[in-house]
Amino acid sequence: MEITITTTGVIDQIIITGSIDALTAPQLINTINAHIHDGHPNVIADFSKVEFMSSAGLRAILASVKEARANGGDFRLAAPQPNVEKVLKMSGFHNIVKVFTNVDDALASFESQNNG
Amino acid sequence: MDKKPRLALVVGAGSVKCAAALGLWKVLNRENIPIDLFVGCSGGSLYTATMALGFSLDECIEYTKTLWNKEVTAQKNWQALLSVAFPKLFNFGPSFGMISDRRMETNLNQVFSNRTFAEVKTPLTIMTTDFYTGEQVPLNEGKIVDAIRASIAIPFIWSAHKVGERTLIDGGVSNPMPVDVAIKEGADVILAMGFQSPLPRTVKSVSRYAFHINSLMTNNLYHSNFAFHNAVHHSEIITILPEFEHSIRLFDTDQIPYVIAQGEKAAEEQIPYIRKLLNIEP
Repeated sequence: MEITITTTGVIDQIIITGSIDALTAPQLINTINAHIHDGHPNVIADFSKVEFMSSAGLRAILASVKEARANGGDFRLAAPQPNVEKVLKMSGFHNIVKVFTNVDDALASFESQNNG
Repeated sequence: MDKKPRLALVVGAGSVKCAAALGLWKVLNRENIPIDLFVGCSGGSLYTATMALGFSLDECIEYTKTLWNKEVTAQKNWQALLSVAFPKLFNFGPSFGMISDRRMETNLNQVFSNRTFAEVKTPLTIMTTDFYTGEQVPLNEGKIVDAIRASIAIPFIWSAHKVGERTLIDGGVSNPMPVDVAIKEGADVILAMGFQSPLPRTVKSVSRYAFHINSLMTNNLYHSNFAFHNAVHHSEIITILPEFEHSIRLFDTDQIPYVIAQGEKAAEEQIPYIRKLLNIEP
């Protein structure tokens, strides 16, 4: 798994490439937590290059969402592939995490929130 | 010395779609990846039982066609239907079911006869539900045919089944994807395969109405349970999700080769990761 972080103003994008599973989830949690604690609690995770996600991946998302919200921000998902989207829906994560079909919509959701 | 990780295969509800588990099993056999525990529920109980007993893939396919076909729902249970209108006269009770279970029981006996859980090659648990309390009742002893009969007792459609002192119905009513059984039994890696109950295309009869409502409730329970087990437990749950290009209906047994092939395809994608988790060299 590869993680790339780009910062655009007050919202950051994290592009994740590969699988989020028991072998890679700890790395993802550590990276996101460090980023949030560094003063960047508003995060968009670009899932367009995530090929697979297991239960460890779901727990990593949950941990990231909790951490971002505890620090006054939010962790939102964008562009999951169909198989990952299916796992998100099966596990009911759509009800607790904001998921967008693309990064632009996720960005717009933060902007409208900030302007509102 | 490190403990060898234990691998479980959980096959939940999903009727003919559950045959995809045979595709997954085929790939695991080819790759010499042994399963330490099978857990089945509802439609999944038929497949996990045949696999746990050590039947060959061809036998499993053949038995599936025997067990699950349109004939099992062909005969209405007229006494039960009349008991809806005249409950006292026709003894309406907990054993209500709109479809006669005679054919299904004949088919089950033909395949499993008197085989017991003691005869399985790999440990097997089949999930059922207590009719009176709603409690989950995982079965792993006694006659396999009894456990399957209870596990597929879809509410309204087939009557409850008595096992010992308990009156049991479809495992999907309490736990449509019983990954928790595998967790409790100490599985480190769980391959989970299950499907949402299909909704009837039209709701133009009492039986379809009952089936529709039952599917809605079971599907919601499926999501809730799955979310809980994924979020809370430390075991690694790998969801195997076969893709079907067209809809597979309840008794599309002619689609079994296609369903198995899709299960095989979905399994292939996960093999490198499963190997890594189980420390198995290619």
